Amino acid sequence: MIHKLGTIRSSREGFERLALLWSEAAILYSRELELDLSECDFFDANMAAPLGAVLALIADKFNRIEIVRVRPAIESVLRRNGFLTNYGYRPEEDSGRTTLPFARFQLDDERLFADYLKRQLEGKGIPRMTEGVGKVSQQSVFEVFQNAVTHSDSRLGIFVCGQFFPHEQRLNITIADAGVGIRSKVRAYLKNDVSSGDAICWALQGGNTTRTGSRPGGVGLKFLHDFVERNGGKMQIVSGDGFYEYGNGCGTLRLAELPGATVNLEINTADTQSYRLDSKITAQNIF
Amino acid sequence: MPETTTQEIIVRAFDVIGSPLGVSSDDGQKVHDKIAPLLREGRKVSLSFERIETIISAFLNAAIGQLYGEFPEDKIRELFSVRDMSPEDLALLKRVVDNAKLYFKNRAQFDEAWKEELGREE
Repeated sequence: MIHKLGTIRSSREGFERLALLWSEAAILYSRELELDLSECDFFDANMAAPLGAVLALIADKFNRIEIVRVRPAIESVLRRNGFLTNYGYRPEEDSGRTTLPFARFQLDDERLFADYLKRQLEGKGIPRMTEGVGKVSQQSVFEVFQNAVTHSDSRLGIFVCGQFFPHEQRLNITIADAGVGIRSKVRAYLKNDVSSGDAICWALQGGNTTRTGSRPGGVGLKFLHDFVERNGGKMQIVSGDGFYEYGNGCGTLRLAELPGATVNLEINTADTQSYRLDSKITAQNIF
Repeated sequence: MPETTTQEIIVRAFDVIGSPLGVSSDDGQKVHDKIAPLLREGRKVSLSFERIETIISAFLNAAIGQLYGEFPEDKIRELFSVRDMSPEDLALLKRVVDNAKLYFKNRAQFDEAWKEELGREE
């Protein structure tokens, strides 16, 4: 099968195109997929994470994948972040140190992910932020990763990629999984046929969690949402045909469903706000 | 249950998990499993976050949040405290504590209200 992938930005259209790729290629079994990028004029580097998740699902069914006819500028971006080296391309040095390379982690690789993040964030804007903002930014990224660990059931792992834009003082990081998706977990928990969009909105409300048992949940995504609001950043969550964008609420992808779940986070690295508690609350009276 | 002893035990999260990163539920569980038996014995416990660089809600939910399912709030207030936490981490702990209190109090009602809300939209 030959699939022509168009321009991929961190937008609803970008996710629609990745979902269409999956909807066409999901039927392949022990075949060949030629992913043709000749019509792709732009590729947001961080979107290599959800593309990686989709391609991993396709490869999992014994299919061979080849990425061909990549335009030079896009080839350079995707070689610098290491994505294309998984498909036989030579690596290219990231001399500007602006990429967070494409990486794939297993669900129990929390500490490897922590090492990756620490190594990759050095010199990419976070040290310029106040110590508190840097700390909360890192917490936010960990929350996204841990959310995938806890809820995705993604046996193919978790896919991470990012890009730093020094002039705009923005850091984009995307974490995607190839798991069961948000809707299936929320449906099973609420015993209600909620749509993917409603399931994402439900999960973003403080206190809502599909966890049962002795360990509470329902803090992480709300924390993330509140961080994005205060930081002046951006957030998108895509799962199934649900598309959430901070500021625009929950909607749907019109053409197809994206497997698993993807969270796109854009952090404003020029942020100097305080993320401390109201001074009346202290370690002594917090309980 | 034994009487409350006055000597406070300091549990050092770093030593329990062997890392400056409190970024997993499983590591939070290890910390919880050190604290809970001491509280059950009526001992005063202070959880130190010295040398811990990053913590997330899943870690705190497992380490501290689940205590609210095992002990009454006043018992936790009387016996348990934290120390060496940055102001940003204290802000996250506050969210976790408030959420845990609700989680164990009115979970069923909360979910039922959501089901009704989602049902109305369809």
